[in-house]
Amino acid sequence: MLASSVQRSKPTPYPSKARSALIRRAVVVGLVIVALALVTVSFRSPTAGALHSVQGAGSTALRPFQIAATRIAQPFRDAYEYVHGLANAKAENKRLREQNRKLRARNVHTVALAALEPSLARLLHFEHGRTFPHDFRPINAAVITPPGSPYTHSLTIDAGSSAGVRLNSPVVNGPALVGIVSNVFPDTAVVRLLTDDNTYVAAFDPRTRVRGMVHTGPGGTLILDQVKKELRVNEGDVLVTAGTHSARYPDLYPYGIPIGRVSSVGATDTATFLQVQVQPYANLSSLDAVAVLVPKKPR
Amino acid sequence: MTLGDGVKAAALLFVAAVAQVSIFSQAQVFGAVPDVLLVTLVALSLLRGSVVGAVGGFFAGLVVDTASLGTLGLTSLVLTLAGYWIGRYGETTGRDRAHAPFLSVAVVTVLYQVGLLVVHFVLGESAPGGAVMRSLIPAVVLNLILTGPIYAVVRRLLRPTNRDELTAEVQLLG
Repeated sequence: MLASSVQRSKPTPYPSKARSALIRRAVVVGLVIVALALVTVSFRSPTAGALHSVQGAGSTALRPFQIAATRIAQPFRDAYEYVHGLANAKAENKRLREQNRKLRARNVHTVALAALEPSLARLLHFEHGRTFPHDFRPINAAVITPPGSPYTHSLTIDAGSSAGVRLNSPVVNGPALVGIVSNVFPDTAVVRLLTDDNTYVAAFDPRTRVRGMVHTGPGGTLILDQVKKELRVNEGDVLVTAGTHSARYPDLYPYGIPIGRVSSVGATDTATFLQVQVQPYANLSSLDAVAVLVPKKPR
Repeated sequence: MTLGDGVKAAALLFVAAVAQVSIFSQAQVFGAVPDVLLVTLVALSLLRGSVVGAVGGFFAGLVVDTASLGTLGLTSLVLTLAGYWIGRYGETTGRDRAHAPFLSVAVVTVLYQVGLLVVHFVLGESAPGGAVMRSLIPAVVLNLILTGPIYAVVRRLLRPTNRDELTAEVQLLG
C-alpha cells in the first residue's frame, strides 16, 4: 500500500509554497509564545494583577452561557439519574439497609459516649448541623464549576467579594469541611479542596484528644500526620478542626468542624509518626452547594 | 477560509468549550471525562488545516481557562499544538481517509492527556500520573464514541475545501 501510486495535486510555484509554510510556522510559534507568556504571568500572580481582573471579567461574561448550558443539560442529567437510580435501586436498598443497621448501632454507641463527655456532645450537636461557630457567619453559594479532572483539586462558587467572601475563609458542605477560599473575584471565588497538595488543616480527635495535621499524603489519600506512635488513634474516630490555641496565631478554621473519619491506622518501626488514613465526610467530587464561613470580626 | 467559515468555526469551538466546562466535565465514566472540545478541534483541524487548528485551539483553550478560572494559557498551549499537529496531518495525508478522524482523536487524546500531565508537573502542580494513565483507555473510548457524530456535524457545517487547494500528498516510498 505504501508503494502504490498516489495522485499529486497541481504543482505550485516554490516561493508561494515556502511563504505559506513560513506563515504557518510563524502563526503557531507566535501562539505558543503568547500561551507560555500567559501561563507565566498567570502562574506568578494567581490572585492579583491586570490578568487576574481580565480573567474575572471574562469568567463573569461567560457565566450566563455556562448557566444556559447547565439548564439545557439538566433534563438529560435527571433522566439519566432516574434510569440509573432504577437500575441500582435493588442493590442500593440492600446496601442502605446494611448501612442503616450499622448507623443505628453506632448511634447508640455515640449517644452513650455523649452522655459521658460534654465536649463530644457538643461535637455531635455540630455534626447534626444545628449550630455554626458563633464568631462566623455563613454565606451560602452554589458550585458552578466542580473539579472536572484528576488534576483539579478546586471548585468555583457563585459568590465572591461582593457577597462578602474573603480570602482564606473555610468552606463547609453541611457539617463537613470542604476546603478553603484560595482566590476571590467580584462574583465568584475559587475553593481549594481538602485533597489539594497545599491544603493543611490542624485536626483534633475528640475521643482520644490527639492532635495532628490533615493533608494529602502519597498516592493522593488524605492522612492525619504528625501523630507520635505512642499516642492512640482508633479506626472510626471522628476528626474535627483543632481551631485556635494561641490568640497570637489564630487558625484559619474554627474549632469543631468535622473533617472526616479515620479509615485505617498503621505504624512501622522506621516511621516517626503513625500512618493514619482519613476518609473525608464531604463527597468532594459531587458538591452542589457549600457555605463559606466568614469571620464576623476582621482578622 | 471564508469569513462565514470563520464565524461558524468560532461558534462551534465556543459552544464546545462552554459545554465541556459546564456539562461534560461532570460526566465521569471509569475515571475519564469525554472531551467534546478536543474532538471538535480535531474535526475542525482536519477539515480546515493547521493554521485554523492552531488558532482555534488557542482561543478555545482561553475560553476553558477563563471559565474554569484555571491557570490562563495552560489549556491554550496544549490545544494549540494539538490543533496544529492534526491540521498538518489533514493537509498532508489524512484529510480524505475515512479512518483519519478516529485515528487522530485516539492519538491526540493520549498526547493531550500526557501533555497536560507534563505541563502540570513542570509547573509544580498536582500531576497524578497513575490516575491519568488508568483513565487513558476509557478517555480514548469515550472520545471515539463522540467522534462520528461530531465529525459529521462539523463536516456538514464546514464543507471540505476544493481538492486543488490541498497540499500534495506525502509519498513515503519512492
